[in-house]
Amino acid sequence: MASTACFMIISKNDIPIYEAEVGSAPKKEEAAHQHQFILHAALDVVQDLAWTTSAMFLKSIDRFNDLVVSVYVTAVTHTRLMLLHDSRNDDGIKSFFQEVHELYIKILLNPLYLPGSRVTSSHFDTKVRALARKYL
Amino acid sequence: MADPAYSALRKILLDEITPAVMVLPTPLVEERCQKNGLSFVQMLTPFCVFNNIDVPVRTASDQPYRLQKFKLRMFYASDVRQQNVEVTKERLKQVITDAGNNKDSDLYLDPSPIETIPISSQPDFIPTWFQFFNKELVRSVSFSDHEAFDHPVACLLVVSSNDKDPINKFVELFNMNQLPPLLNDGAMDPKIPKVFVLVHDNQDGSPERATKILAEMRNTFGANDCRLLCINSLQGEALDHEPNPWEFYMPNASPDQHLGRLLNKEDVDELKDFVRDLSSKDIIPNMEQRIRVLNQQVSATRKGFRNQIKNLWWRKGKEDAPENQSVNMYTFSSIESQIRVLGDYAFMLRDYELALSNYRLLSTDYKLDKAWKRYAGVQEMMGLTYFMLNQSKKDAEYCMENAFTTYLRIGTSGKGNATRCGLWWVEMLKASGQYKEAAGVYFRISGEEPLHSAVMLEQASYCYLLAKPIMLRKYGFHLILSGDLYKKCDQIKHAIRAYRNALSVFKGTTWSHIRDHVHFHIGQWYAFLGRFDVAMKHMLEIVACSHQSKPMQELFMKNFFQILQKTGKTYKISRLQLPIVNINSLNIVSEDHRTYGSPAAVSVKESIWQSLEEEMVPSLTNAKTTWLDLQSKLLPNKLKQSNVCVAGEALMVEIAFKNPLQLSIPIYSVTLMCEYSPNEIIPDANNSFVDQSIEDEKTTSDASLFTLSEVDITLTGGETTLAQLSVTPIKEGRLKVTGVSWKLSDSMVGFYAFEPDLIKKRISKGRRKAKQNTNKLEFLVIKSLPRLEGIINNLPSTVYTGNLQRLSLELRNSSEIPVKNLKMKISHPRFLNIGNPEKSDVNFPSCLEKEKTPSQKDADLDTTKKSDTIFHFPEDTIIHKETPFVLPLWFRAATPGNVSLYLTIYYEVEDKSTAMRYRTLRTHHILEVLPSLDVSFNISPCPSRLQEYIVQMDVINKGLKSLKLRQLSSVGSEWQISLIESIQDIIPSGNLASGQSLSCFLKLKNAKTTETATDVWLGRIGNEAVFDTQRAPLVNFHHYEQLHQKTSHKEQEHQSTVDFMLISEMEETETENKPPQIFSHHACHCRQCGNEETDMVAIGRATDYSL
Repeated sequence: MASTACFMIISKNDIPIYEAEVGSAPKKEEAAHQHQFILHAALDVVQDLAWTTSAMFLKSIDRFNDLVVSVYVTAVTHTRLMLLHDSRNDDGIKSFFQEVHELYIKILLNPLYLPGSRVTSSHFDTKVRALARKYL
Repeated sequence: MADPAYSALRKILLDEITPAVMVLPTPLVEERCQKNGLSFVQMLTPFCVFNNIDVPVRTASDQPYRLQKFKLRMFYASDVRQQNVEVTKERLKQVITDAGNNKDSDLYLDPSPIETIPISSQPDFIPTWFQFFNKELVRSVSFSDHEAFDHPVACLLVVSSNDKDPINKFVELFNMNQLPPLLNDGAMDPKIPKVFVLVHDNQDGSPERATKILAEMRNTFGANDCRLLCINSLQGEALDHEPNPWEFYMPNASPDQHLGRLLNKEDVDELKDFVRDLSSKDIIPNMEQRIRVLNQQVSATRKGFRNQIKNLWWRKGKEDAPENQSVNMYTFSSIESQIRVLGDYAFMLRDYELALSNYRLLSTDYKLDKAWKRYAGVQEMMGLTYFMLNQSKKDAEYCMENAFTTYLRIGTSGKGNATRCGLWWVEMLKASGQYKEAAGVYFRISGEEPLHSAVMLEQASYCYLLAKPIMLRKYGFHLILSGDLYKKCDQIKHAIRAYRNALSVFKGTTWSHIRDHVHFHIGQWYAFLGRFDVAMKHMLEIVACSHQSKPMQELFMKNFFQILQKTGKTYKISRLQLPIVNINSLNIVSEDHRTYGSPAAVSVKESIWQSLEEEMVPSLTNAKTTWLDLQSKLLPNKLKQSNVCVAGEALMVEIAFKNPLQLSIPIYSVTLMCEYSPNEIIPDANNSFVDQSIEDEKTTSDASLFTLSEVDITLTGGETTLAQLSVTPIKEGRLKVTGVSWKLSDSMVGFYAFEPDLIKKRISKGRRKAKQNTNKLEFLVIKSLPRLEGIINNLPSTVYTGNLQRLSLELRNSSEIPVKNLKMKISHPRFLNIGNPEKSDVNFPSCLEKEKTPSQKDADLDTTKKSDTIFHFPEDTIIHKETPFVLPLWFRAATPGNVSLYLTIYYEVEDKSTAMRYRTLRTHHILEVLPSLDVSFNISPCPSRLQEYIVQMDVINKGLKSLKLRQLSSVGSEWQISLIESIQDIIPSGNLASGQSLSCFLKLKNAKTTETATDVWLGRIGNEAVFDTQRAPLVNFHHYEQLHQKTSHKEQEHQSTVDFMLISEMEETETENKPPQIFSHHACHCRQCGNEETDMVAIGRATDYSL
């Protein structure tokens, strides 16, 4: 498992709708904003790359020092699943993204969920964390 | 792609990679020059740049061309050495600090939004000092021994005409001991071309002596290498040169220094000519000559197939040599150094083809030798040459990257060169519009030195801004990184600038941690600079940091309050997010003709009250008959369009505050904000039309017009608290509740203005529902009215079922105006009954006892029976101020469970001039009734006699306390009841303990006679005080019980039934003096149950009673 990993789901309008620190390293206070900064900046790169490929998994698209940003862009809603990590396990990350995508689709299927609003389901949260333990 | 010919890099290179000239003056020369406020080199510098020198040059292969632009760099011999790292650092820091202080003016303005910034190739918002800083950085690595373009191509020996023995001075000047290390350690040829200059100060006398010396010099050093320079020819007045050629090179000089004040026009022209001659007649031909010689040497030793093989073989042999070569391995006489000199000279004379071929040759050599620094230097030059040739962009970039990484790889010694190489590389990328890549290079340049990194990162961020498509987020991110580093180096002003620029990207972002970080830091830094007002603006952004962890919240709050304290200002912030006002919870309780006895009564549904008041209130009965006549004539139109409240009576407002933080925060002085406007209209029933526009509607918030309540609340983390606030209008007029305000501290006031459209208000039910347009926050204050307050004395909160108590209702009127015509309705007459108002001093419970002589039945029995809905107070009841009216009440807990009792009292106002004729008082009481005795009767016909029945009475004490049975009565006079067995035999103590049950048999006989024994004494013998079941309140309660229990027995109404009443008592153990609690249990409509006849017989037999 990666020692540092920050997972975020960004809606079409660049608003974070879900975020989780899934690294095994003890959580640091100052890291929270740093991770957001890196992921936020990486959106600029995603914006360029997303239209150059038909694949949803964009692999590592940006890096900051030893932290790498991997991105998965969903096809229809253009929701971006972004993972900041320090390990290099592309297969694991790909599987992680695919399974989280499935979970996210289930959230979208909920008639009470307004697309683009914050994902507050605790069930989703536990599932994502379990997936992170499994794949990262 | 921008034409490289005009690019910034080309300009930089033509500026930086030009021939250097070493200057060695005598002290006297300097002294003469200083008269002008200039040193010798400074004096010459402005004239060293030629835009159109037009010198014919031939390439090594005799191709002629002409040099147009040319520049000489002049250095004192003492400066021709690598600079001390610490000194350089200090100087660079000074550059940054100065730049920071200069930018003071706009530091506190709001950042301009990013959209308005004109995106040109060199936007003007990019600080200009960057270029200066970069130049300083590049120059800090000059005069390295691994590259030749900084090596002086000539040496100027300058002697003053006043010097004694000038010829010897010239010889002394070129003393090897004082020469730069470059010449001494063998990095360059010490035999450099010399030019002998004699400086004559015209103020010292005529130039005759000078010409004499010059002739002497020509004899000694050769005619071509000697020059005479006359300065300070100006007599008298100092001259201000306009434009001053030196000003540009000495930006720090003040204008009153009068640079070059003693140089007249001839002098300046002479200086110009001197440098021009020096360049075109000495330096350029010398370099050209040198190139020719070197090229021949290189061709002889390295060019051609044979030489290449030889070289390769020879290099191979050296492979085992230690990697870290000694410094002097490549002396000026080594072929590698010569190639390098050849390349650099060719570069400086714009023969780029020749330079490139030589650099290529050299590059492989150094690579084989593993002389990495030199290799990197050559690669760097190759990259620049490719760029100048404008040929292969890819090759140029490849070489630059190669050079950059190689410099970085060799560690600290290569760091400065790596920075220089990176800066040139960046310019190269910028020239071809590759801003994104340029930003990446800037990022790579930023190393361990935090201050330099900060500058580099800031430059990187501007590159992202220029990139296509624009990369705003990267721009913001790099500015933040840069700002953090500036802060690390105590360059707060720069840090603020960086963050402020970043704010244009991050303003209003939903990325909470980013927003908090930016605002928190910028706020802190402004506070550090003492700009607390600006700091506060940013700190306010982070108050509602609910997503942060607890320590962060504590930190934020601590800083927030510190800065707040230091500002010394009072802030009034609309919709302050701490705490959060839940506007949906807003609930306004106003009392018009409806008044409430307690807050609990307010929350009761209006429909309950209406059903109670239906028959008492006149307007409601009207409304029922015709809905068109909804608007009663009691209030004029104007009043009906807004809510009404009465002067002197509090308007209650409830609103919820939520603390978003995990910390507990106290808030003070939570109070309502109200506006008052006087209203001149006198409510008049006849005046149906009232002018809507009230002229001169000045709104005032004078304390004499209304009073506000203030509450202090402490909200613990995450808590939501309902604050109850009130406003009491004092004068008639219009009162508008505009919002709520609170104090977070003495100088931080938050308020929340209510927007009328958004608010659902609960008071406007019933009649007002029809008027949707009503401004629900506006109230019409009408003249003070009497308001009754009623309390029920001694009402218990917990009682046992059946408990009978005597209570009293106390009504008070605090107003001067008396009220009359009182009516009352009780929702549950089973529980509450009205006693006789005339008998207020009865002794309970002895008043229930049967009198010896049968008297008339109580009067109130009749009143209850005839009107079981509304109780009319006696006609003459008028309640005045200070004289409370007391009405006796009987209370009996009829059924177990939680019971809500509603009382509504209608009263009319004596004063006819008021807008309201009547009001109602609504009270609500909640009690808990616990179970006590459970009584059941089974009646079976007597087997032996007609008209007689056997009754089995089962009693279970389900309560918690023991009860004493007192008597059992059959209500009415139809049935005679007697015990079959003595009660003492069944239950000797007479006490029925908790959980105990009792079963006894009684005989019931239908007797039509008047004197029938309807009561059976079950208590202690000899203490018989039988209660009269025909007296109030027992008979009243029995009446309601009968009504209540009737429903379930409807179908058997034709049968003859009997009603029983069991009376018991509970001894008060704690207080001896108090009379025992009386309990009554009623069983109505008991009848013979045929089905169970056989059972009864069986029981009768088993007990073997003889009838």
